[in-house]
Amino acid sequence: MLSWSSTKAGGPADLGAIVDGSGDGGLPHGAELVAFAEAIAGWDDDQLDRARARLAAVAGEAFMVDAAAVAANFEMMTRVADGTGARFPAEASTFRADLDQQLGIGGFTSNH
Amino acid sequence: MRADLADAHGASLAHVAHPGARFEAMRRCAIARAAQAAYLQRDPAPPWARPYDDPALDVAHRLGRHAGTITQAWYRQVVETELEPLDWVEVVGIVVAVISPVAFARAAGLALPELPQPARGDPTGHVAVELADAALNWVPVAAPADARASVVQALSALPDEDANLWRLAATQYMSDAQMSDPAWNRGTLSRPQMELVAGRLSLLRQCFF
Repeated sequence: MLSWSSTKAGGPADLGAIVDGSGDGGLPHGAELVAFAEAIAGWDDDQLDRARARLAAVAGEAFMVDAAAVAANFEMMTRVADGTGARFPAEASTFRADLDQQLGIGGFTSNH
Repeated sequence: MRADLADAHGASLAHVAHPGARFEAMRRCAIARAAQAAYLQRDPAPPWARPYDDPALDVAHRLGRHAGTITQAWYRQVVETELEPLDWVEVVGIVVAVISPVAFARAAGLALPELPQPARGDPTGHVAVELADAALNWVPVAAPADARASVVQALSALPDEDANLWRLAATQYMSDAQMSDPAWNRGTLSRPQMELVAGRLSLLRQCFF
């Protein structure tokens, strides 16, 4: 989804920011967004406070709020997918195999 | 603060506190509290633990904190001996209905929302007109199965849970119509920036989908 949408928007994204949190994905405020997403995924409230403040400082409060909403959405959608055993159709297997390899997610429990 | 977000999150919590297809409101609130507690705990019980000795609450605990560890074998074990498959679907609907506003509030640095008092009333029994087994999901879905993407049909067996899910998604992320336009955004994050947040968080949650 990241590769598709960023290519359509004019610049292919660097998947490294998703895979290991490195860099900024080639996007404005990308490093701050990755740090914010990582802090949300963790349980260190001080780290989250710092990441939120940093993102709001560089991109603005409304930007941070919308990023928080996107994160909340994917806290939701990951649980919908994992809780209902969501799978891709067979015709997507070639595309998925390539992407799974790039992202290193083939070994996830949720893929079995 | 965006009023549409506050409205959608308030409606989602009110949805939890009303009777569902299978459970009374008080039971739904207990399921939601189990999921919220699991989501927020610094040192939660591990995925294999059954901290409540209550199948619906234990599923909510695991989905709230350890969703990426849920396997088809565990789903089968639970629905063959402890819960009906539609009970499981309703638990998923309740968990995501409460996790969304809680996760947003935590992320944005706001006070955590409270569940309303549970409404009285029996379960509604509101289930899709026809159910079908799906190849793209473990759970039963509204017929015809697999005519839509797996995440789109995931909660379709229970129309009220399904409607709440997609109301939240349209507000927190984007609607179906907006998704078809890769240049669409709210004037803050660009689509690639949205996908960066979505992708990194989904990977850290070990959700391959």
